[in-house]
Amino acid sequence: MGQRIKFDPEDVEFFGEIASIGSPKFDKMMKGGIPRGFTILCIGEPGAGMDLFMKQFTSVAEDPANTVLVSTSESQHEILQVFRRYEWPLDLKVRCLGEEYNEQVLEKDMEASRFRLEGFTMQDIQRLAQTRFVEEDSTDYLIAMASQITSLGPFFRCAIDNLDFFFQRNEARRVISMIRIMQAHTQLNRGVLLLSASSGSIPESVQRELSLICDIVFDFEVKMIANNFETRMVVRKFRNAPENLRVYTYRVTAEEGITPETVDRVA
Amino acid sequence: MLGGPQYTRDRCVTGIHGLDEITRGGIPYGATVLIGGTCGSGKTTLTMEFLVHGAQMGEACAYFAATEPSVKLLENIRQYTFFDMEMVDKGLINVFDMDVVYSWLGLTKATFDRDDINSLVKAITDIVNTIGVTRLVIDSVTTLCYKIPNDQLIRDFLFTLGKTLATQGCTSFLVAEITSAGAKAHWSSFGVEEAILDGIMVMGDIDRMGHLLRFLQVVKMRGTDHSRAKYALELTPMGVMMTPMLKWGVDSS
Repeated sequence: MGQRIKFDPEDVEFFGEIASIGSPKFDKMMKGGIPRGFTILCIGEPGAGMDLFMKQFTSVAEDPANTVLVSTSESQHEILQVFRRYEWPLDLKVRCLGEEYNEQVLEKDMEASRFRLEGFTMQDIQRLAQTRFVEEDSTDYLIAMASQITSLGPFFRCAIDNLDFFFQRNEARRVISMIRIMQAHTQLNRGVLLLSASSGSIPESVQRELSLICDIVFDFEVKMIANNFETRMVVRKFRNAPENLRVYTYRVTAEEGITPETVDRVA
Repeated sequence: MLGGPQYTRDRCVTGIHGLDEITRGGIPYGATVLIGGTCGSGKTTLTMEFLVHGAQMGEACAYFAATEPSVKLLENIRQYTFFDMEMVDKGLINVFDMDVVYSWLGLTKATFDRDDINSLVKAITDIVNTIGVTRLVIDSVTTLCYKIPNDQLIRDFLFTLGKTLATQGCTSFLVAEITSAGAKAHWSSFGVEEAILDGIMVMGDIDRMGHLLRFLQVVKMRGTDHSRAKYALELTPMGVMMTPMLKWGVDSS
C-alpha cells in the first residue's frame, strides 16, 4: 500500500500534464498515462474485467478527497472487499447509486407488490390511516451523479461504473447531455473521468455519439482461445495521439490487478 | 293481495336531521349510495356527519379523501360542533388519503388498468374487513373514475366495489361531483354510476330571489319507500338541517 504524500490540491506541477490510468505498465505503454482533462470511455463485454479496471483507476488517487468511484451495481461492502484484496487505499469516496436505488425505489416496489398480493394487515391499515402525505421519491439519479461530478475541484479523478443504469432509466439524449456537462467540467478542471458501458446495451448511434464526446475509447473483449480465455483491451480512439491506438492483451494478477502482458505470444 | 307480514329491511340510521325521515327510517344496510352534488352544496359535511353519527354509536367508519388532502379536510370539518377530533385519534373514524393509498399500492400511472382497479377494490375491502367498517365514504368517486379510461371499467369498478361492500354489510356514500343539478342534468359525472348503485341523492343550489339555497333530493333508494321531494338544506355549526321546500318557492325552470 502506497504512502500518501502532502501536496497543494491546486499545485499544477504536482499533478502534471499526465495522469495514471491505474496500472504502471499501461501508463508506460501509453507514453506516461492519460492527458489531464480527458474523458475516457470503456465499452466491454461482461466478464472482461471492466469493473476491476474502474476500481483500479480510482485506486491511484492523487487526492482521495477529490476522487470518486460511482458504482451502479455493487454495494459499498463489495467494493471495499476488492480494495482490501488488492491492498489499495481505502480513503477515496465511493457512491453506490445502485444500492441507493434499491433502497429507495425497489423496496417500495416490493412493498407495493406485497400489498397488492397479500393485502393490508391491521398494522398497515393503522399506519395508512396516520399517513397524511405521499413520500415523494423524486431522486433523479442522473442529476445526482452529474452534480456530484461537477462539484469536484481541480485535478479530480472519477470513475462511473457504469452508464447502462442511466440509459435504462432515462432518455438517451438526456444522458448524453449530462455526459457533455461532465466532460466539459473534466476538461476545465483538468480532471480525469472514466466512464464504462456494456457493449450491446445501448444503441449503436448513442455509442457512436459517446465515442465522439470522449477523448479516449477502450474496448474490452473476452475471446476463447483453445481452452483459455484471452482478455484484450483495444484502444480505439486516443485524441491527438493516434500512435497510441493498439491492442493490449491483459491479465489479472493478485499483485497488480489488471496488467498488460508484456511478452508477445508466439502463435 | 296476499296478507302476509310485510318485510322491511334493516336500516342504517344516518343521524342527519331530516334524512332519516325522507328515507323512512334510514338507508338500507349495505346500500351503496351516490351523493351527486355541485361544488359547495354540502356533500363533504353531510357525508362526514353520517360517519360521526356512526362513530357515536360505536361503529367503525372509513373516509377516503380523494379530492382534498385529509389535513385540509379535517381542519375545515373540525369547525362544526358535531365533529370531535378524538374520533379520528381513537380510530373510530379512519381517514385515508387516496394519494397515499395509490402510492402504497404502486398505482402511480396516470390511468388505471383492470389489475390496478382490482388492487384498489381489494385494498378498500381489506380495510373494511380488517377493522370492521360499517360506514364508508369515498369523496369523491369522480376523481377516482377520472383515472379509469373507459365506461365499462368504471361500471365494473363500481359494481364490484358496491357488491363487495354490501357483502360486508357496509353502508357506503360515494360522492360524485356534478356541474349542474337541474332537471336535465346527469346525477353523476360519467352517467354510468347512477344505474349501478343502490341509491342516488342529489345536492345542489336553487336561485331564489338572488339567494342560493342548498337543496337535497333523494332520487332513488332501492329497498325503501322514500320522499322524492326537494328539501332545503342548511349547513349550521351543529351540522346539516333539512326542511321541506315549499313548492311555490321553487323555480320550476
